[in-house]
This record gives sequence, C-alpha cells and structure tokens, in this order.
Amino acid sequence: MANKGWDEFEIGAMLRSFNGPVSDVALTHQEDRDYSENNSFTASVADWRIEKPVFNKDYCIDCQFCWIYCPDISIISRDKKMVGVDMDHCKGCGICVEVCPTNPKSLLMYSEQTDEEEALAAWPSKETGEK
Amino acid sequence: MSEIKKIKNLKEFSTSADRFEGANLLCPGCAHSIIVREVLNATNDDLILSASTGCLEVCTAVYPYTSWDASWIHIGFENGSTAVAGAEAMYKALKTKGRLKQPDREPKFVSFAGDGASYDIGFQWISGCMERGHNMMHIVLDNEVYANTGGQRSSSTPIGSSATTSPAGRISYGEKKNKKDMISIMAAHQIPYAAQVAPNKWKDMVKKIQHGLAVEGPVFINAMSACTTEWKFDPKDTMSISDLATDSLVFPLYEIID
Ligand SMILES: Cc1ncc(C[n+]2csc(CCOP(=O)(O)OP(=O)(O)O)c2C)c(N)n1
Ligand code: SF4
Ligand code: SF4
Ligand code: SF4
Ligand SMILES: [Mg+2]
Repeated sequence: MANKGWDEFEIGAMLRSFNGPVSDVALTHQEDRDYSENNSFTASVADWRIEKPVFNKDYCIDCQFCWIYCPDISIISRDKKMVGVDMDHCKGCGICVEVCPTNPKSLLMYSEQTDEEEALAAWPSKETGEK
Repeated sequence: MSEIKKIKNLKEFSTSADRFEGANLLCPGCAHSIIVREVLNATNDDLILSASTGCLEVCTAVYPYTSWDASWIHIGFENGSTAVAGAEAMYKALKTKGRLKQPDREPKFVSFAGDGASYDIGFQWISGCMERGHNMMHIVLDNEVYANTGGQRSSSTPIGSSATTSPAGRISYGEKKNKKDMISIMAAHQIPYAAQVAPNKWKDMVKKIQHGLAVEGPVFINAMSACTTEWKFDPKDTMSISDLATDSLVFPLYEIID
C-alpha cells in the first residue's frame, strides 16, 4: 500500500464474507461455503499456540462440551459427533481439555511439537482417585 | 413470527453452522466469542449485527479481515445500538411500503457492546433505543472493565475490584462504588424483556436469547464475559471461573419479563 497522508484514508470500508451471493448461511457448514479472501476463516492463528490439544476418539462420548465452549470455532462437530480440532484456528487455550468429562480425558494438551501418534500411543489410563 | 430453532440438548445444538469465524484476534480463552457463538447459533434467521468499539469489535474486524458471516456494522464506541436501530427502522419502513426484496425473511437485529460502551459511553443511545421501542436486542459483553484499553474501571466494575484506575493496595481496597444496576434501569424503560446470562450456563442463556429474539420490542441482555487478561486467570480456566461467579451468585442469573 502506498503511503497516504493523514487526511487521505478512506473513511469506511465494506468487506464481503463470501464470494458471490449466499443464502441460508446458518444452514451451510464451513466446508460448503465459498469464503472470500477477506474472511478471517482463510487466515490462521496456529502460530499463537505453545501447546495444542490432541483428540483421542477412543474415549469420546460426543457430549459436545468442547464444541460449545471452544471460543475459536475450532472443535469440528458434524452430525452430533466430535470429529477433530481445526488446527488453523485453535489458539491453544486449553478450555476444551478442562471441560472434557471423560476419564481419561478425550482431549489433552501437548507441546506444539509433540508427535500426535506418540501422544495417542502413550495416552494416560483411567484415573482411579486412589493414591 | 419465524419459527424458533429447536435446541433440545447440546448434541442437537452442535449441529449448528457457526456464523462467527476463527483467526479473529481475541485473546485465547476470551469469553466474548463464546457468548457471540451461543447467541448467533440460537437462531437460523438472518442477522443484522453491530459491535461498538471494544475488544470484540477491534479483534473481529482487523482490515482486511472480517470474522462475521452476517451483515455487521461498526461505527463508533457509543452508537452500535443506534446503528442497528436505524437498520430496524428502515426494515420496518420498507416492509410497510412493500419494498422488501425478500419479504419472507424476518431478520433479527442485535447489537453487541462492552460494559464501557453500554454502562457509560453509549448509555443514552441505548436508552433511546429502548424507549423508542425498536424491535432489537442489545447485548452487553460484561467483563466489568475497559479491557481493550488496559483495564480501567467502568460503572460496571463491582466494589472491591482492582482495576488499573482503582488499584487495590496499601491505600485502598480497590473500586469503592457498587456496580451500576443496569438491568433495573433498562427494565424501567418498560421493555418486554431484560435478562442476565452467562455462557457457562449455555442452556439458560440460549433459552433467554431465544425468548428475547421472539418477543416484539426492545430487549436488553447483560452477559457475563470472563476476561483472562484483565481478570488475570489462566485461559484454560474461563469456564471454571465463570462457574464460580454464577454458582456463588456473585453474578446472579435472572430475567425481568414485561
Ligand atoms: C469515544 C471513544 N472513547 C474512547 C475510546 C477508546 N477505547 C477504545 S476500546 C475502549 C474500551 C472498551 O471497553 P468496553 O466497552 O468495556 O469493551 P471491552 O474492551 O472491555 O470488551 C476504549 C476506552 C474510543 N475508541 N472512542
Ligand atoms: S485449545 Fe482452545 S481454541 Fe483450541 S480447540 Fe481447545 S478450546 Fe478451542
Ligand atoms: S468434551 Fe470430550 S467427550 Fe465431550 S465431545 Fe469433546 S472430546 Fe468428546
Ligand atoms: S482483553 Fe479480555 S475481553 Fe479483551 S480479548 Fe482479551 S480476554 Fe477478551
Ligand atoms: Mg468491558
């Protein structure tokens, strides 16, 4: 962008979320939408993360607590099933892990560089509450 | 009136297609977006939205990006409510004249604003919207502080809180005044519905939002928004902190009908 003087900026901007006309966005899932380049969906905040959530579907009961409380629309749920984590938009807050009710948890935080297969292979077993 | 979306349980709710997007710049763990998601997902109707200046607006409309998949406008700190009221007035006028392009659609009009933008700086604009009887909902993202500018007190900051302009320490225990009773003030406008909600109690919140969207006339909602940065807690604890606040009745959930 060329440098502009203090009084030369546009006073307003209109951005389109999608390419072309849309109807019933509320009934169209992300994979079926034609996002414009101005939609933040096309951007990523993956580099914000220090830790990432890893999902182990063996223990998941599809309660959807992670879906409702994820601030960043990063828990992908389809047909009432938890499918996985959207790693482009997850900021690594850890809320999904905190609210996951299973024992052992179906989501756990690992350092960003952890290999997912290794994490899954060494998944902790059920906590019994005994010392 | 359009049909109310059926949300029997969380599994059914999770089939919603979000109209709010990630890669916005809100802090990790920010409750603002949890509130916005629960509101937007409470209906399938078209939405006309606004946000007043504050964390939500600043972080979801960073040029050249928008995180909103519905009509959305930002003007200033004080006038998000009147922007939506203006759109609603235009909608009514076009409807009366039979000039709506899609007369079968019944959009919902919702304005989002922080506590600073609602309790203090946009106060008279919101009062005007409520008094004139617009068919709209104003939702406060109440983190009880001016978060976006570094944690100054607002008239929503409760007594005893430590804000950057009312710090607790050797001289003072912090904020000295009680939180402004905004819900009572709004209810005194004789609006059909005013309610206090919190995103951790999603079922209660969604029920209240759906009721508010269904009634004819202005609706005022005060939503508790736990702020990881200014309340100084670990981002992973947003829900447990919220549970503490609602379960202890520090932040009571209630509604005022008619
Ligand atoms: C008229 C005006 N005054 C002050 C500001 C500076 N300002 C921008 S955001 C903000 C804080 C907003 O606080 P709040 O409404 O509580 O929203 P939050 O950021 O806490 O969500 C302030 C003071 C402004 N943009 N416009
Ligand atoms: S870590 Fe946070 S942002 Fe990532 S999926 Fe879990 S709740 Fe969502
Ligand atoms: S919170 Fe845990 S058990 Fe529930 S859907 Fe998410 S991963 Fe599965
Ligand atoms: S400062 Fe608080 S309200 Fe603002 S984005 Fe961060 S957590 Fe959210
Ligand atoms: Mg605030």
